[in-house]
This record gives sequence, structure tokens and C-alpha cells, in this order.
Amino acid sequence: MNFRPTIIAFLCNWCAYTGADLAGTSRMKYAPNIRIIRVMCSGRIEPSFVLKAYRKGADGVLICGCHPGDCHYQTGNYRCLRRYKLLVKYLEQMGIEKERTRLEWISASEGKQFAELVNSMTLTILNLGPAKIKYMPEYQPQNQQL
Amino acid sequence: MEEIRIGVYICWCGTNISKMVDVEAAAAEIGRLPDVVLAKTYKYMCSDPGQDLIIKDIHSHHLNRVVVAACSPRIHEMTFRKAVEKAGINPYLFEMANIREQDSWVHTDRSEATSKAIGLIAAAVSRVHYHSPLEKRSVPVNPATLILGGGIAGMTAALEIADAGKQVYLVERTNRLGGLVSKFDLTYPDLSSARQLIRPIIQKTMNHPLIRVFYRTEVEEVKGYIGNFTTILQIPEEGETELSFGNIIVAVGLRPFDPSVIPEYGYGRFPDVVTSLQFEEMIGTGRLLTKRGQEPRNIAIIHCVGSRNRKYHEYCSRTCCMVALKFTNQIRSALPDANIFEIYADMRAIGKRAEEFYARTTHQQIIFLMFDQQDSLPVIKEASKNDNCNLIITMNELLSGENIEVPVDMVILMVNMEAHENVKKVVHAVGVSLCGNQFMIEKHPKLDPVATTTGGVYIVGTCQGPKDIPDTVTQARAAAARVLGTIATGTVPVEVTTAFINDKLCCGCQTCILVCPYSAISFNQEKKVSEVNEALCKGCGTCGATCPAGAITSRNFTDEQILSQVEGILAMSFKDQSV
Repeated sequence: MNFRPTIIAFLCNWCAYTGADLAGTSRMKYAPNIRIIRVMCSGRIEPSFVLKAYRKGADGVLICGCHPGDCHYQTGNYRCLRRYKLLVKYLEQMGIEKERTRLEWISASEGKQFAELVNSMTLTILNLGPAKIKYMPEYQPQNQQL
Repeated sequence: MEEIRIGVYICWCGTNISKMVDVEAAAAEIGRLPDVVLAKTYKYMCSDPGQDLIIKDIHSHHLNRVVVAACSPRIHEMTFRKAVEKAGINPYLFEMANIREQDSWVHTDRSEATSKAIGLIAAAVSRVHYHSPLEKRSVPVNPATLILGGGIAGMTAALEIADAGKQVYLVERTNRLGGLVSKFDLTYPDLSSARQLIRPIIQKTMNHPLIRVFYRTEVEEVKGYIGNFTTILQIPEEGETELSFGNIIVAVGLRPFDPSVIPEYGYGRFPDVVTSLQFEEMIGTGRLLTKRGQEPRNIAIIHCVGSRNRKYHEYCSRTCCMVALKFTNQIRSALPDANIFEIYADMRAIGKRAEEFYARTTHQQIIFLMFDQQDSLPVIKEASKNDNCNLIITMNELLSGENIEVPVDMVILMVNMEAHENVKKVVHAVGVSLCGNQFMIEKHPKLDPVATTTGGVYIVGTCQGPKDIPDTVTQARAAAARVLGTIATGTVPVEVTTAFINDKLCCGCQTCILVCPYSAISFNQEKKVSEVNEALCKGCGTCGATCPAGAITSRNFTDEQILSQVEGILAMSFKDQSV
């Protein structure tokens, strides 16, 4: 069977998602394995989102936010960076290679960089093969009333 | 609990989507998902018939959730939210899947693009299950306006607002008003005086009882949100002043490109190579002389200096061609016998009566020489003693194909316009983004060109992109009208996708207070829980990601919503792999 990896990407609305849109409006071409989920800020991205993605069969997870100093919400990308550093360590303990989970900064004008990033990420995942998890507990989101 | 009934609409966008995504196959696949009552495709979902289709279906099929798969939500999310609202359901019971910018336009394999579209739509379908109605909120608008930049853009906007009886605070970085226009001698295409244009505006601005001008002042930080901003200004010799205002107009302009980085032109080495702005000054004082004090007999004007060239700036400055022709007219009247060389790349006559101006100027015995501004710049070198001129330009003339030498006494470099060195500081202070060329990004390039993605912040004039005086004034008045509109209404709708803390789950650890960039969360000592001030919250969701107790809900970006998107995508991808 041909390995067709699935990469889940979490992109912040203001820089990265707009940069990905720019790649589209500029008609740049990149590998089709990526599935983008929009969040307002990279600071919103919880480690559990990434864990869920691997739990449900993702082969890689890409997180993109605004460049340091350029965050629309001032500091959200720094929070994201800290969580990311801890998260990859945790993922490695579960047998998920650290190269599978990437955090990159993409500005609203970096459509080209985004397209290149997706291609390089896809290549990395293709070389690594499907993600295998040795152990992961089921995540239960709390039910809340608004 | 009410039964969930989802309607899914997949847009063809003409052929933009349908060429690369099999929309019918996607509709068939999505139609099989649980709770999807119908899945339809249509040529242009954003058109009136497209929106009417949704509205009719909501009524006839009793839909209570809507998914549209089309362009980026950054383009049409608001359009469809309004349509859904028109049909009587809450606009937040809607979700969009981006299958154009992030799918059909970036892929080349139709089956891959189709399966990606199916994954993205399935994610939206799965997410919309967890959407809940959100109520709109509005806040009162402070009727004062802050304007950054005292050039023609800032002053025009200031006068428009102040003449309507509303307070304006005008912050100018230098010690005088007038900006770049006050440095010009004449304007094209009428060759009318720039000074006569700008002086009355400066006078009126300085004397207007409702405009307070702050000189040599810059804005460091702006707090608050649309309708209710504050800032603290450090005013020289006066100290700190705190200002409150409801809207911000950014009109900080551009600066001339420094041509000394282009080795071919020798700017800085040859005193008779001057920039267009230096020439404006020269001709304004009536002293059109070389550095040795002689009348130049041969003058060359080189176009596209720092423009339309990968090494410097790729964009066109839009105004320099016409300014160059203006110079030609001025030189011709001052020195009727001089030889004038227009060394140009293409002649761009943009704007009303510009082409006629070009045609008129060509009759003035000008020598037009064309060069390749990308790969073959003219080279300026010093003339030898026998040459009977100061400088020699060697160039490849494109139309004749010949390498020629042009003897000149003075060279004018038509310099490009570029962002100020402090533009990053300005955009940080007001929360606006920059494009790759360091111009500020508008909310919508065609439909909302003076607004930005930050509510209550408008961009006018050249900081949005190079433009001439008429376009700058048009934008300034347009932004003023937008501001006066919100002041007249008295209230503006604000972010509803704020954070919410469930006080039953909050453990009082206050981590959220530490991470909130807007100090929007405070600790209620009596209840021992954290509370969100919704007026200050901008909905970034950082607190939600941080809360160890899971007590914080980021409205419209809840854990359930995002996790269900992940599930929706991956459920479809597995199906792909087994095929």
C-alpha cells in the first residue's frame, strides 16, 4: 500500500492562515497531505489537540503562528513555543519522533515560505513512515455549559 | 435536546474550485454523514441566488446548522453569517470550509484535491455540531479620534472629522505639519503649486479648535478596543498626557528610497546626481545649478530608482513617472535650450489626465531613452576633462538595441517610496499587519480598503501603498466617513468570541491571569475564582489553552469544536488509505 500521510496543521488566523491563503491566491502548488485547522492565535493550541491528532491517526502535526514579536495578540506565540517544547518531549516518550511535530512562524506575506514548509514537512513524514504510538491515554474533554 | 439538522453547501466558484475539486462527488460523500440533511453544490454560493438557496433551505428543511465550503472564511464568513441570520438562525451556528485558497488553488491532482475537500468539509460538519448561539454585544463609541501622521492624509481626515464637530488628536513625529507634499514644488498634471495646496490645510489644521496637534510625539502603545482606546503620549517639554478615543486613523506615509545602495548611479559620490526630492527643493528655490554653480546644459532623469527590481523593491511607486514628466516641464521653462533625457523603463501614466500630460510633454523636445530596469541599469561615471560635461551615462538603449553614452551635467534619480524605519513600531502599537513590502494590510483589498482587521483602526495614504495626492485625499475622507459613521451610531458591535470561565470548575490558580495579554482577567477574592472582563477580551484563547482545570471556554473555538475538527478530518483520511 502506498503511504499517504495525513498532516494536521493548526494555523493562527492573523499571520499563518493568511499566509496559507496567500499561497492560494498566488497559485503556488504544494503537497496535498495537509489539512488546516484555524485558531485565532497559536496560543490557543492545547497539547491535547496534537495528542488527539496522533491518537486518531495523523502522521504529523504542523503548528504555525506569527513571527516572534509580531503576534496579533502580543504574546500568544511565545506561550505556544513553551508548550511546544514540552510537548515534543512528551511525544518522544510515547514513541512519536520529534520531527513529526513542527512549530514554524509564518507571516501573512509568507505564502511562498508556507508552500515550501508544507513540502518539506510532507517529505519528512514520507521518510518517517506512518506514526506509531506505543501508549496514549484517551482524552476526555469536559462538558461545559455556556 | 434539539435534533441537529445540517445543510452543507459546496461552492464551485465558477471553475476556481470545480476545476480541481469534484464538487458533486464531495457532496455525495458529505451527504452520507450523520445529521447532514442535505448537501448541495452551486456555481457561486456568495451570489444573491446562492445565499437565497441557503435561506430557503433553512426554512423548508428546518436546518439549524449550516456549512459552506468555498473560499477562505477571511473573505466570505461574514457574508454567510449574515445570510444565515437573515433566515432566523444564530449566525454562529455556521461554519466554513476553505476549499479554494487552501485546496483547489494549491493542488494539481484532482482526486487528491477532492479527498482533501471532503476531509475539510467533514471537519466543518463535525465541528458545527458543537456550535452554540452567541449573542451580539455592542459598546459605546468615544467620539474622539486619534490620527497618526500630519501629512496631507492625516490633516485631511482630521479636518473632515473636526469640521463635523468631533475632537481629533493629531500626532506628528516631526516638528511641523505638511509631510511630503510640503516638500514638493509643483504637482502634476496641472503644474499647480503644491505649497498653495498644502498651506491652507496646515493653517486650518493648526487653528481648528477641535484639533489638538502633538509635535515630535510618537505613539508607543495603544490599549483598549474599538470605541474605547487609550494611550499615554510622551510630549516633549510637557510630559505625559493620557488620551481616550474611539477610533484610530493611521496616516504615517512613506519615505524616499536611499539610492546610495545602487552602485551604478554613484549617488553620494557625484554631487550632481540628486534625488527627485532634492531636485524639488532645488527648483523650488529657483536655483537650478550644478554644484560648480553653472547652468546645466544636459539633464538626465532616471526612472525606477529602487523600483521594479528584485534587488531593491519589486513594486512600482506609481507616481514617479508623472513626477519625472513634471520635472521635464519645469526644466524646459527654466532652461529652454537644455537637452533633457528621460531615461525610463516603461512610462506609467496612472490616473486622471495623466496620459494626456504625457502626450503633451513629449512635444517639448525631450529625448526618451528606454532601459531594462531589472537586469541592465545605466551606469553613471565621471566625464574626462575633454568631454565638455560633468558626467557620462553609459546604457543599453532598449528600443534601438544600441549601447550609448549620454553626456550630462546633472542627473535626477526618481527614487522609489518605501516604508519608514519606524513602521514596525507603529503597526505594533495599533495592531495592524504589514505585507511583504512593509505596507499596511487593509481589511479587504477591493471592498474595504481603508479598514483593517483590527476594529476601529483605519489606514490611509501611502502607508497603505504608494499613491498620488488625489488617491490619498480620497482615502483620508473615506476613513473619516467611516469614523463619523460609528460616532453617529454611538455604539459598535464587538467581539463575541470571548473567553468564559465556569466558576464551578475554576480552581483559583490564576494562571490565566498571568498569560492574558490584555489584562482582561481578574481574580474575584470573594468567590476565589477568576473572571473575564468581556469588554477587554479579544478572544485569542490563550487562557483556555492554559487553564489546568478546563474551566475556560474560548467561545467559537472550544475544545470540543477543535477536537471534533481533528476527528472529522482523520475519519475521512483513514477511508482514503483503505481504498
